[in-house]
Amino acid sequence: MTSLQKFAWYNLGIISLTGLAVAIGYLIVGSPALGFLGFLGFLGFGPLFFVKRGGKVIFDERDRLIQFRASTIAYSIFWVIFVMVCVFGTITIYGENGAVPVTVVRLSVFWALMLVYLVQSIAILVQYARDGRGDA
Amino acid sequence: MSGREQPPRPVIKNQIRRLRFNHGEMTQQVLAEKVGVTRQTIIALEGEKYLPSLELAFRLAMAFGVRIDDVFQYQAESEVP
Repeated sequence: MTSLQKFAWYNLGIISLTGLAVAIGYLIVGSPALGFLGFLGFLGFGPLFFVKRGGKVIFDERDRLIQFRASTIAYSIFWVIFVMVCVFGTITIYGENGAVPVTVVRLSVFWALMLVYLVQSIAILVQYARDGRGDA
Repeated sequence: MSGREQPPRPVIKNQIRRLRFNHGEMTQQVLAEKVGVTRQTIIALEGEKYLPSLELAFRLAMAFGVRIDDVFQYQAESEVP
């Protein structure tokens, strides 16, 4: 498994753990469960997978290309969803003369982060799975 | 008036697996270390799932001590049987 694959699996694990913790916690204790979004801080340890070890190649041109494609897909999907929510979601939920609560705006940063990392990780793993057959 | 004709898609084949076996049954890991990529990239190259950069193509040819067109062959789609 390449370092980029490990990075993607790690991020997927963090996002899944955070999502589960928030969902289950919200059912049990309500809005204080949003504190579990703090688990997203562990995403900061992801770059440790790319620390060089003993001259071994950690990240090559193909990994760079896969990461670039995955990032492009992730940010494109994020942008489409962001525009849809801003244009249609807000007016549907809050009405034409409504006001979006500050809490919602603040939380949307975390949801956006989760969405981008989730899509990026899946895109990375799908590309490796598609190209990796024929291991010898 | 003719319809929009697309230029034939090129097909790039490579002989990396054969050259590897001809060079003392070199493993994918050894070749990867020689050219500075990961073993997974060598697997993708041999499976023709990835097209290398020009620099990597030259490094592969140099690793085998052959010319670049001994490693990679270009065929326009119309020439593919």
